[in-house]
Amino acid sequence: MVAPAAAPPLGHDSADPARDPDLVRALRDDGSLDPAHDPKVSDDLVLALHGQMVLVRLVDTRLAALQREGRVAFHIGASGEEAAIVGSAAALRASDWIFPSSREVGAALWRGLSLGSYLHHVFANAEDASKGRQTPEHFASKKAKVAPVGDLTGTHIPHAVGFAWAAKSRREELVVLVYFGEGATSSGDFHNGVNMAGVFKVPVVFFCRNNGWATSTPASKQTACASFAGKGVAYGVSGVRVDGGDLFAVLKATRDAVARAASGGGPTLIEAVTVAGRADPIARTRAWLDAKGLFSDAKHAALVENLEREIDVAIAAAERVAPPSRESIFDDVYAGGSNAAALPWHLREQRALLLATPPRTLPKPSTVE
Amino acid sequence: MQMNMVQAINDALRHEMKKDDRVVVLGEDVGKVGGVFRVTAGLYDEFGEDRVIDTPLSEGGIIGTAIGMALYGLLPVPEIQFSDFIFPAYDQIVSELAKFRYRSGGEYAAKLVIRTPVGGGIRGGLYHSQSPESLFMHVAGLKVVCPSNPHDAKGLLLASLRDPDPVLFFEPKRIYRAAKGDVPDGDYTVELSKAAIAREGRHVTVIAWGAMLYEAIAAATEAAKQGIECEVVDLRTLWPVDIETVIASVKKTGRVVVVHEAPKTCGFGAELVALINEKAFLHLEAPPMRVTGFDTPFPYTLEMEYLPLAHRILPAVIETAKF
Repeated sequence: MVAPAAAPPLGHDSADPARDPDLVRALRDDGSLDPAHDPKVSDDLVLALHGQMVLVRLVDTRLAALQREGRVAFHIGASGEEAAIVGSAAALRASDWIFPSSREVGAALWRGLSLGSYLHHVFANAEDASKGRQTPEHFASKKAKVAPVGDLTGTHIPHAVGFAWAAKSRREELVVLVYFGEGATSSGDFHNGVNMAGVFKVPVVFFCRNNGWATSTPASKQTACASFAGKGVAYGVSGVRVDGGDLFAVLKATRDAVARAASGGGPTLIEAVTVAGRADPIARTRAWLDAKGLFSDAKHAALVENLEREIDVAIAAAERVAPPSRESIFDDVYAGGSNAAALPWHLREQRALLLATPPRTLPKPSTVE
Repeated sequence: MQMNMVQAINDALRHEMKKDDRVVVLGEDVGKVGGVFRVTAGLYDEFGEDRVIDTPLSEGGIIGTAIGMALYGLLPVPEIQFSDFIFPAYDQIVSELAKFRYRSGGEYAAKLVIRTPVGGGIRGGLYHSQSPESLFMHVAGLKVVCPSNPHDAKGLLLASLRDPDPVLFFEPKRIYRAAKGDVPDGDYTVELSKAAIAREGRHVTVIAWGAMLYEAIAAATEAAKQGIECEVVDLRTLWPVDIETVIASVKKTGRVVVVHEAPKTCGFGAELVALINEKAFLHLEAPPMRVTGFDTPFPYTLEMEYLPLAHRILPAVIETAKF
């Protein structure tokens, strides 16, 4: 539990544990692990998670470039937050679900969303699971137990709570991990969701990435509370602050929270501090691999080459697919899919009107800065 | 069996909860005390606290978590204690509930039936009397229902629970206990998007729903004494509206009066009149008229002046008939 009064100023760069005694760190600067916070994971898992973080970084870099070229409309990215995202996802069991916000595609990919499927979504083409209806970074995958990302800040927090609560009422053992940025903790939905979860001891883990900024607003303008984890106190929800650039600390804190939720101990609010300007989480993980002699520059070069090739293939495939059909605008407003005969009368009329109008040439997506 | 609206809705909930174990009821005071209007009375004892849930006082939390429950596979029936209290949940309803199927390309859907008492005439003042139905009809993806009698209340609620899309189920609280009638035992549904002809007539069509249906019928009875035969249409489902029944009646009479409690401006009457103009303009013998609540907040002491009761409907019917 966090004692809010003892916590350091918000957004504080917590690389120095002496200045931030509540911040949980496992990975030391020399690549060794603090035994108190060692998640005791296999070398293979760390190698796989490192590879996943590199993938996320490469995808981010590529999509940011495509956005500048105007080939995709929008990209948000997770630079510097890869360890928080991938490490938390790796703590989940196959039965568990995630309710992401728009930065956590790395978690969805780890859980089984395919890169190809993600890129169809980014290009909003006819193969996109959302049928081109959502801007990029609003992916979903039922198969991978990933709830669909919405655009709004914090609205998915009560959904995650309701989902986990329903599972609990059906005696199904699963835990839901819900991701959001620190800005979302100012929303009414954060209050609504965390309060409900506390009252009903819902098996949910609230994962707050505190990167210090919500668009242009600093963390200090989101709350006067000494830490975001400390906000759980008012709801009877345990809070923990963890170094979000430390793959091992994130994995252990999330795993502990999942175990606690699964055993009936209720929710946990994890604040993963990922404030910009700190050591690169991928480099920090690499230091651990190097210290154990598990990695090398040659292996890194081969990894990057393979991943770049995968990304090339997926982008080329996604760019080849046509946009969704015009009349698909009317599908899925109500049940019935693309069956025009099942549409209510007003949508049937409007669909006929659209189809009677000559098509407008689709412009390239405009760039959103 | 003779029942009032409260008993009929309670009967429908109990019936479906026995039949379908996905159905859960949640809301403020819905459990142990059975709701402030007693609509959920007895369900907590019968189905237990996992399926009849007393929640914190948090409408946004009630609808938000109900959406999550629906994503899991339950069929939540949240109660918003008064429809005046629904606005903290409006974002969840408009931005999330209504759009889940669409934005996930049909992979996910959040099916809820949100029950909420609606309308005035119970000395409830500004915040226990409003009629916000048109605010939900303007949102793609929702269905909106408002029964006027116990038979339809049970049948429409069962149909709403079995419909795949989210439904706002508005219960006219002024007639919760006043409207009585025969309610069949066991299973039956009243099909959504099918209006009823509450009274046949050939001179003027009067469109109403919920508690105002009785005012429309009272006005029609008075009008008949003056030789004006009104056809009173009870919409039952507001959206998607039964356009065929509305247009067929208007084509028959050529004259129409729409009645609703909600304020006039941008109320559902505006949409109905626009649809009638689009689809039956050349059949009209008089300008369509609206008899509605005023464009003011809902008043307390003067609520009977605010409501579009029979004494305000009758002059509109006569004016339309004589145009």
